[in-house]
Amino acid sequence: TCALWQLLFRVLSPLPAGNALASIALEVQARLVKSALCSQGYPRLALAQLPEDGSQGSRELLLALSWLLARGPVPEQMLAQTRVPLGDEMTVCQCEALASLGPPAPHMEAEGPVDVRHVQWLMGKLRFRWRQLVSSQQEQCALLSKIHLYTRGCHCDQNLGHLSVTEAEMLRDPEGGQKLLRTLEHESRRLEAVLAWRRAEPVFWQWMDTVLGTCAPEAPAAASQPTFLPWVPECGDGELELVVRELQTLEEELREAVERRRVAWEAKARGCGRGPEWSAARRAFRETVEKELGALQRCWEQDSGPAPAHGPHRLVRREDGAAGDRDLQAAELIRTLRSQEACLEAVLRQLQGQCRQELARLAGALPGLIWIPPPGR
Amino acid sequence: MLQAWEPTGTWAWEPPPEPEINEEDPLPACTPSPQDLKELEFLTQALEKAVRVRRGITKAGERNKAPSLKSRSVVTSPGTTASTPPQSPGQAGGHASDRRPTKGLRQTTVPAKGRPERRLPSVPDRTRAGIGARAPRPGAGLRNQHMAPSAAPQAPEAFTLKEKGHLLRLPAAFRKAASQNSSLWVQLSSMQTSDSMDAAAAKTQFLQNIQTAPGGPLALNLPRLSAAEVEAEARRLRKACSLLRLRVREELSAAPMDWMQEYRCLLTLEGLQAMVGQCLQRLQELRAAVAERPPLPCPVGRPPRASPSCRGGAEPTWSPQLLVYSSTQELQTLAALKLRVAVLDQQIHLEKVLLEEEMGCNRGLQP
Repeated sequence: TCALWQLLFRVLSPLPAGNALASIALEVQARLVKSALCSQGYPRLALAQLPEDGSQGSRELLLALSWLLARGPVPEQMLAQTRVPLGDEMTVCQCEALASLGPPAPHMEAEGPVDVRHVQWLMGKLRFRWRQLVSSQQEQCALLSKIHLYTRGCHCDQNLGHLSVTEAEMLRDPEGGQKLLRTLEHESRRLEAVLAWRRAEPVFWQWMDTVLGTCAPEAPAAASQPTFLPWVPECGDGELELVVRELQTLEEELREAVERRRVAWEAKARGCGRGPEWSAARRAFRETVEKELGALQRCWEQDSGPAPAHGPHRLVRREDGAAGDRDLQAAELIRTLRSQEACLEAVLRQLQGQCRQELARLAGALPGLIWIPPPGR
Repeated sequence: MLQAWEPTGTWAWEPPPEPEINEEDPLPACTPSPQDLKELEFLTQALEKAVRVRRGITKAGERNKAPSLKSRSVVTSPGTTASTPPQSPGQAGGHASDRRPTKGLRQTTVPAKGRPERRLPSVPDRTRAGIGARAPRPGAGLRNQHMAPSAAPQAPEAFTLKEKGHLLRLPAAFRKAASQNSSLWVQLSSMQTSDSMDAAAAKTQFLQNIQTAPGGPLALNLPRLSAAEVEAEARRLRKACSLLRLRVREELSAAPMDWMQEYRCLLTLEGLQAMVGQCLQRLQELRAAVAERPPLPCPVGRPPRASPSCRGGAEPTWSPQLLVYSSTQELQTLAALKLRVAVLDQQIHLEKVLLEEEMGCNRGLQP
């Protein structure tokens, strides 16, 4: 039973495997497993009621494991997590960046007035860090590119054509190479194991059905749900949250503006009563606007191409830059990124303009305040 | 790695297929042992030093003879022939080393590299003794120099990726392991996509059964959205949001010239308002669906390289795809743009926070 708790913990843990995990006490592991399963919507209450000392409940744990296995490709995902990277990799999607953003923090009240100089200092630090990151990345790219160039024609795999840093390093340091080789072989053994599992899977499910059958009917106890530990972050939801908030703000703004203008317009229109030409004109306007807005909607309705492939990609240098249909091309990615950049820049400019307006309004509202806007920007 | 490599290990110096490269490698059949290469390194350092000294000396000719003689005697001293696969002892070794220089002669035309004509006696004795016949290449080189004295010192013979990188070959054991590994991944992917009907049906059945089995509360069997669908919808709505936002700004900031424009602006704004409402509704529905039925068993780990949302359910391949680039500049542009987009995202986020603060202040100020 203990082993099952630990296995579930390992499967459900968002942290990479390590010694730190192994040292967590069994009771803690069990509690975390319960909480994680609960947050995923595991339907069986019996699990939540299991004692956490590992003394009983192996059947429930087995059912829980099967539930997880049924819902997703668990072994493959775990293998992918610990995959040995043989190539030089670069990620294309922004998943990591968004994941680290996390859910929007609740509105925090600062203790006392915040010194704007502190904020400026922080901004400066941030800008500096960005610049550092950019320059070190550029350097890394240059070096990578050199290594790829110098080792062209070496690789046994024609598709790749040149060595990666990992591979070249292996040649330079044979001991490290041996280690890499061992890790690679270890991974291959695990791959074979997963393949064997997949082939034998139907048998497993037959067996699990019988296990389910052995569950004795019991009255479900009063819902004493385990305390919901915020240990398992909800993936992807943070991002949706942001969009929702933005749209809500937009909605609010529009509501005010539309109301205002509608009232103003009605007043004006009532003043000058117009005849049939007027209604014809109105219809014409309505049609034009509808067409425009329809075009706008199509901009996002049409699926913007296939999703940018997720996960890391192995960098390969080729003179002609030709790529197979499953591979990505740097040139195309650059195009996509440029259009993204343009869009974001437009949004940023708008926001900055709005901020300036608000600031001006603020300054205007405070008597005796002299507001000197910075030049340029 | 781009600098000279410390010859600490055996490399797979397999004979390169192209003939012209053969010329550059004077001893194609050799696999220099680690010791050899270390000695070689010492030697080249010493030679470099010698070159530097030599340049100050005008009389080149006489020196040629002396060192070559010396070197020959050194070379022919029976040392190990560890570098040559047919390990011939003693005499044969001497012969071999004698033969080698000539072989080197024929083949090496260009890389009479930096072989200074003179070897300083001040070179540490141990290296000289050690080098002896165990470094036949310098011997060959020296001989070359004797025949074709070239006063131009060139780059040392140490291994640099730049010059010799294309000669590298991955060790056979690794090649085998890597190909096995990649074929296993491919097998895994294909098995994933062509998930046997039995297994898939069994799984769905099991999930249904577990809902209704005793010991657990019943739950409605809602249709599960695949992660890919959720993601696609989220992407669309995100794009919608930014486009709508842009348009609203444009309309609000445009100053209507006459009543016609005013009316049109009003209509547009009303239309936009409706669209925003629609998007919001769809988002709320999406969120509710995701909350009810998480499309993926989320916490299967957040490894440093790929987050769980990355493995959106429809992901058939588990081994990395390729990203092909054609020049250093392209790679750098790509990296720079990626960062730029991230920076802009961050800046926008900060600007929004600032705006919220300001609007809050303004609202606070108003009575």
